[in-house]
Amino acid sequence: MEEELRAHIEERAADLERTGVSKAEAERRARIEFGGYQRFKEECREVSGTHFFEALLQDLHFGLRMLRKSPGFTAAAILTLALGIGTNTAIFSYVDAWLIKPLPYPQAEKLMVFLSHDKKKGWTNNSVTSTADFLDFQHLNTSFEQTAAWAGWNFNLTGDGPPAFVEGGRVSWNYFETLGAKPILGRTFTAEEDKPGGGHVAVLGQGLWQSRFASDPRIVGRTIKIDDETYTVIGVMPGTFQFPLMGIANLWTPMALNDKETADRNSSWFSAFGRLKPGITQTKAAAESEAIFARLEKEYPQTNTNATSQVSSMIEEIGKNEGTTQVMICFWIVALILLIACANVANLMLVRATRRVKEFAVRRALGATKGRLTRQVLCESLLLFFFGGVAGTLFGAWGMKWIHSAIPDHVRGYLVNYGEVNLDFTTLGFTLGIALLCGLVFGLAPAFEGSRADLNTPLKESSGQASESGRGARLRRILVGAEIALAVVVLICTTLLVRSFLISVRSSPGFNPANVMVAQLQLPKTRYRQEKTMRNFTEQALERIRALPQVVSAGAASSVPFGGFGQVVLIAAVGKPAPKPEERRGARFTAASTDYFSAMQIGLVKGREFTSEDGPGNSPSAIINQTLARQMWPNEDPIGQKIQYGEQHNIATIVGIVTDIKMSQLRARPERQMYVSLTQFPSPSLGFVARTAGHSTEMESAIRDEIWAVDRDQPVSAVEPLDTLIMVTDARNRVLTKLMVFFGVIATFLGAIGIYGVIAHQVQQRTHEIGIRVALGASPVQVVRMVLGQGMKLAGIGVGVGIAAALGAARSLASLLYGVTPNDPATFTGVALLFGLVAAAAGYLPARRAMRVDPVVALRHE
Amino acid sequence: MGNQAQILPGTLDLLILKAVSLGPLHGYGVLLRIEQISRGALLVEQGALYPALYRLVRQGLLKARWGVSDNNRRAKFYELTAGGRRRLREEEDGWNRLAAAIGSALKARPEEV
Repeated sequence: MEEELRAHIEERAADLERTGVSKAEAERRARIEFGGYQRFKEECREVSGTHFFEALLQDLHFGLRMLRKSPGFTAAAILTLALGIGTNTAIFSYVDAWLIKPLPYPQAEKLMVFLSHDKKKGWTNNSVTSTADFLDFQHLNTSFEQTAAWAGWNFNLTGDGPPAFVEGGRVSWNYFETLGAKPILGRTFTAEEDKPGGGHVAVLGQGLWQSRFASDPRIVGRTIKIDDETYTVIGVMPGTFQFPLMGIANLWTPMALNDKETADRNSSWFSAFGRLKPGITQTKAAAESEAIFARLEKEYPQTNTNATSQVSSMIEEIGKNEGTTQVMICFWIVALILLIACANVANLMLVRATRRVKEFAVRRALGATKGRLTRQVLCESLLLFFFGGVAGTLFGAWGMKWIHSAIPDHVRGYLVNYGEVNLDFTTLGFTLGIALLCGLVFGLAPAFEGSRADLNTPLKESSGQASESGRGARLRRILVGAEIALAVVVLICTTLLVRSFLISVRSSPGFNPANVMVAQLQLPKTRYRQEKTMRNFTEQALERIRALPQVVSAGAASSVPFGGFGQVVLIAAVGKPAPKPEERRGARFTAASTDYFSAMQIGLVKGREFTSEDGPGNSPSAIINQTLARQMWPNEDPIGQKIQYGEQHNIATIVGIVTDIKMSQLRARPERQMYVSLTQFPSPSLGFVARTAGHSTEMESAIRDEIWAVDRDQPVSAVEPLDTLIMVTDARNRVLTKLMVFFGVIATFLGAIGIYGVIAHQVQQRTHEIGIRVALGASPVQVVRMVLGQGMKLAGIGVGVGIAAALGAARSLASLLYGVTPNDPATFTGVALLFGLVAAAAGYLPARRAMRVDPVVALRHE
Repeated sequence: MGNQAQILPGTLDLLILKAVSLGPLHGYGVLLRIEQISRGALLVEQGALYPALYRLVRQGLLKARWGVSDNNRRAKFYELTAGGRRRLREEEDGWNRLAAAIGSALKARPEEV
């Protein structure tokens, strides 16, 4: 443009020159004629397009100033937004890490897990149907490139340090290959090594290599002692390797199935997965799997009737462990909370906009366009929401840290990436995105409000009496009503979940876990080959533990409740017709010592506990739980009857009945449980339980010392209170509940603020009117009723709508509830009443202010 | 200078459109042309010219392109777009109607009322 204007001047100068003026004079005159063109450069630029960005900057600047001028409003809005947006940031980062981001294996979506499924009974579980079935499937299938098997396993490491209890797995030779994971040192297994006697080889995890072997650079080829046998280390897996289905693992050995196991078509002890061939879909593989198992059903009707295998994606299965349902529920709840927060902020902005109507009217009269004003208010809103987003990110990051610390280490193994979730770009992008989106959506209403067409009325009105215009006020009432409805939905959902948790925690597990210490260990085969040695160990250890001064009673069992594992056997009642193969029942099986039931305070319903009578050589005794008694001997006394169990079809005589106990979950259904005497059937895996007079940290080392006094090379897992074990198992529910309490409180709080805002505003608007009424003789009660009336009616409508919506929403929670139905009337009425109270409380302050209105002042109030 | 009339605001745009309709011009040329076709009665204030030109370009009634002037200098030349031609016709009609109406009003004699 400069050039153009200069050219103009030069042309003029040339013209003047032609009329005889000197060149210098011509130029001077031309320039004077043109005038200082700086000033209309401004106008020109105003008319052309570059104006847009400058105006935008101006708007932002102005917006910042306006926000600074009303610090109260700005602070309140930003805090509200921080709550709403921050919760979304935190939850989204989990959604992103667990549901959106893929597993850390190459082409992880091709990894499929094999689930066993009973067509008749409908149950599914995540181990294979039987070993022989799996091996046949490996040979017969054409959909999978590779199939591999795995089972979690605990190992005892001795030598190279104190005896240690290491979690790991026994895996097929191609386990790592199928996943696509590579070792950082050495190699992984070969097919040769996966046979019995194929050489004892092991792969270490990086953590174990560093902690126990001091990162020995010559670890590959070094021999170590696992379960008292010599193994050669052939490789080390990186610390980043994870297999969430198994949990934390630091040591792997080949499965090495022996002949008896490979022929077993009845049961298995491992799980399996496979990698699809390129081009094969999950549906195709599933169909083929069904077909193969249908064939096996025909070939082996004794064992395989109704047995089939389903193909499920590994990502999905891991998601179930992580709690996809729970995460998604949190996601929707915080989305609702965000809407509530935005409604609150929108209300604040609307109120503010009505106060500025006069200012806008003046500016419009002075020539500002409606578009320009709207844009400016919108800018202000966006700025506000942007700051809210920033504050929200900080709040969300803090929330994530809290959640992270609330998850116990043990549980982390089952989470992708060990539960580490970072605030990465995706999450930040999401946060910014929703902040700006909400800013646009909720900022439009105040923007339009501020630039309304009517100029005259605002200018004529006196300052304090900002018009209670129909449109603006109705919008605010709708916002608050919607807000309350959403808050009710959130509160009902969170209350249902919290109640489920409380019910599950308070429900008796069937034993008394208070003040009980648990020590778990595994006797290695090499040193405890004979039953006699296992029995001796158990008895000596028990004797020593019982001798400890603080120990009130002690017992031992082959597996303790919430200890992390258990056994199931097939059972049948002796003397009754033999059940058909598909009707055979299973029961939880535990070998328990004398005094076990009294130490655990498990109720004895009939008969007796195990005593020294139930020793080796005497006829085997069994104790069953009430559910088993009821199901197998519904009309007779089980005591004295015989029960057949297990692979070897052992027979035992029932000597006692105990109450049901929960063995692995607080939210368990009643199941059949049976116990045999540990003395008669010693077990290499043992859990010692000791009821102590009071809890003290020395108990831990005292118990461990007593065990080591019997065998100093015996690794013992952490000795911890039974309460802790239960809590760890229930960790996920615990974290979820805490979150739910938090969300419920926030939603109620925001709802209360909304109601307070509406009623307070009402009072302010109608001060004049109130003054008149009081002057005319209205009593304070009538004034309060008038003031609260509209607010409470609004709250009532909101609660009503909320309850209706919650009836539908709560149904999606059904799978997570325990002890309450999705339409639990107590919860619904409770929440409705609570909101009534909250609304009344929120309206209390403004109502009181209304009562105190001095009619004289009010009448003069403009 | 006494014969010069005041340019009413709003008519500048019309005059520019007319001037440019007679042939593409650069800014200074538009100034001269208006002077010329109004037979010296209308002088455009230089400060108002360029904003008006930019405005007309923004509204899509003129389009601009760089060229070389008679004096071999680089200058921006303006010419009418189809929309500009249309607007010129409309404004001309409107202006003529207005002028006729005012004219007949001014000719009213005392007997006619």
